Amino acid sequence: MIQTSKHRSLTITLFAAAAVGCGKTERPEFRLNMPEMVTAQIIPQHQQEIADTLAALFGTPDEPFALASTGLDVKKLRIAAGQVAGYEPGVKRGLYRQHCVHCHGINGDGHGPTAMILNPYPRDYRKGVFKFKSTYNPDRPANEDLYAVLHDGIPGTSMPAFALLPPDEIAALIEYVKYLSIRGQTETSLIGLVSQDLEYDPVTGVAAEGPEGKLDPANNADQRAVIDEMIAEIVEGWQAANDQRIVPEQQFQPVDTRSVAQIAESAEKGRVLFYGERANCVKCHGPTALGDGQQNDFDVWMKENVAFREATEKLPESIDTLEKELGELDGEAYEAAEQELSAKQNELIVREQVVETLFPVRNAIPRNMRLGVYRGGRRPVDFFWRIHQGIAGTPMPATGPASPGAQGTLTEEEMWNIVDYIRSVPFEPASRPQLRLVENTEQVN
Amino acid sequence: MNRFWALLFLLVPVMGVLTFAIAPYQGWWFPPDISEHGRTIDDLFFFILWLTGVVFVVTESALFYFMWKYDAKKNPAPVKYSHGSHTLEVVWTILPAVTLLFIAIYQMDAWAAAKMRKPNMAPTAEITGRQFNWDVRYPGPDKVLGTPDDLIRTDGDVHLPVGEEILLTITSQDVLHSFFLPNMRMKQDVVPGMDQSMWFKATETGEYDIVCAELCGWGHYKMKGRLTVQTREAFDKWLVESYAAQDAVTIAVATEEEN
Repeated sequence: MIQTSKHRSLTITLFAAAAVGCGKTERPEFRLNMPEMVTAQIIPQHQQEIADTLAALFGTPDEPFALASTGLDVKKLRIAAGQVAGYEPGVKRGLYRQHCVHCHGINGDGHGPTAMILNPYPRDYRKGVFKFKSTYNPDRPANEDLYAVLHDGIPGTSMPAFALLPPDEIAALIEYVKYLSIRGQTETSLIGLVSQDLEYDPVTGVAAEGPEGKLDPANNADQRAVIDEMIAEIVEGWQAANDQRIVPEQQFQPVDTRSVAQIAESAEKGRVLFYGERANCVKCHGPTALGDGQQNDFDVWMKENVAFREATEKLPESIDTLEKELGELDGEAYEAAEQELSAKQNELIVREQVVETLFPVRNAIPRNMRLGVYRGGRRPVDFFWRIHQGIAGTPMPATGPASPGAQGTLTEEEMWNIVDYIRSVPFEPASRPQLRLVENTEQVN
Repeated sequence: MNRFWALLFLLVPVMGVLTFAIAPYQGWWFPPDISEHGRTIDDLFFFILWLTGVVFVVTESALFYFMWKYDAKKNPAPVKYSHGSHTLEVVWTILPAVTLLFIAIYQMDAWAAAKMRKPNMAPTAEITGRQFNWDVRYPGPDKVLGTPDDLIRTDGDVHLPVGEEILLTITSQDVLHSFFLPNMRMKQDVVPGMDQSMWFKATETGEYDIVCAELCGWGHYKMKGRLTVQTREAFDKWLVESYAAQDAVTIAVATEEEN
């Protein structure tokens, strides 16, 4: 009897310890971008070195750090980072984990715990590619663009508005998004650096002895210089974006004194362009503008996912071929082939583990223009930017010049015609099905 | 220790009454009422609170008394069972039934005012719930919703004029939500595919909470908004500014000097 009660109290203690994790909470850590690591065949030793380098450059989710050269404000980062300190107004700490992390993830990779159930999936910041912005297509977004998305949310998606947060908290979150983005871009660049400059054998997983096989910027001044330059280039992209916002030319801007007939005339020109070959909106948005045109493309984030899956699916076949060839070989050739075979088998295991972390594939579906729901904002200038520069990362192409001074497909006047047409589409009779009875509540009651 | 359980049960009415007694001083009470009809709702609440409060105290005291008096240790005599009293049972069935019926009739006017006497006017605005945000659509100068001159705001900040009859149309884009204005003493469930209505008159300007009162998904807690009640002049000014912002065809870019 005594024995039993001793047992019981021990069990209870253990359970209690397990429940509170022995008084320690697990510190969240940045995870590596495994699809990119595996694709670039980075060996585990180098993965660790990349993680260490990133930790030295950017700190941890609890203690973010940014070099002065990144231009990021560490004070703002500290407001956004760290554990949630409390939910009362005025508590300025842990904002990212309070508001964003469950979708966008601790890395800003769009892989938070609630991400998979959302459509569209939350944005992965690590490419530095953002859809709704006022800058040239390949460029980073301006601060104002990120602010607009946080302030008004993204209608038609699960991104809510954060307009009710105090301005300094929104500013801190914008800074943190940029931080995660720059960190992610740096990770990708480091992967490129390792796979190009370091000597290692992806088959055996062994790096060369000495500095040629080691990523160690702390002790290797040359690498340090290369990495500094790399980061400077990334940061330059972010800073330049703020100075290269697209401002519509004054002479083509629609004036608000236009008559209904003038707007209709412009919209008609826009309609012709929509269905014409130059703008070719009809290709994706469809002859009905319902977004039922070409739907089999992917955005850049999903393309990576699809490419990774396809490469993984091809592996078993090449393993089979290698196994068959093995029987016909002998001597050194046999050993080399055997080594390659076991490397491929290992790669398959690693790849299958990574595939399990990927989200199900979804196509990029062109927007239904008849709903009147516009993700990137509904101001005429928002439409203008979408048509001028397309939507970065998606199949929506730019019709304007690709860079300042270059030649675009359409003139700004034509773009404004399309803006007028798109804005009129939800009010065409075809867009207005009787979805609900106007007074249906009276009938139910 | 003899009558431990009796005393423990006595704590229930004592703590219950105490909680209500100190609540108003601790800020645990209702948020300020800024509506014209809110008084009716609050009066109904207090009427029912007092009624049930008195019954609660009496019942709990009786329970305590019986536990105290018939403590097993003090009453060694075996229990005698009775077949009950028919009269007593009829009385304690009819009394609550009459009380409930009275409440049902007494509150009818408040219910009708909130749910049936919809004012005959064009909606002031349309509120659309979506996971996880409240979007607002104002009808614009033509006073008709769903026309090109509508003003659409997705920032969750609903502006309304003070002292005027307001009629809101409330819909949902996806799942069940509930549009709750605690300061307005108003709550309306929202069903996708149905138009719901809510009408009221605000009596005070200021900023108040909007919350979703129906668990609508993992981000339910995020679905809060702000109700900004303004004077007519301030509201009109805000409308003009918002229209101008929505019609923006260009942006102001900082010049070199400002950088």
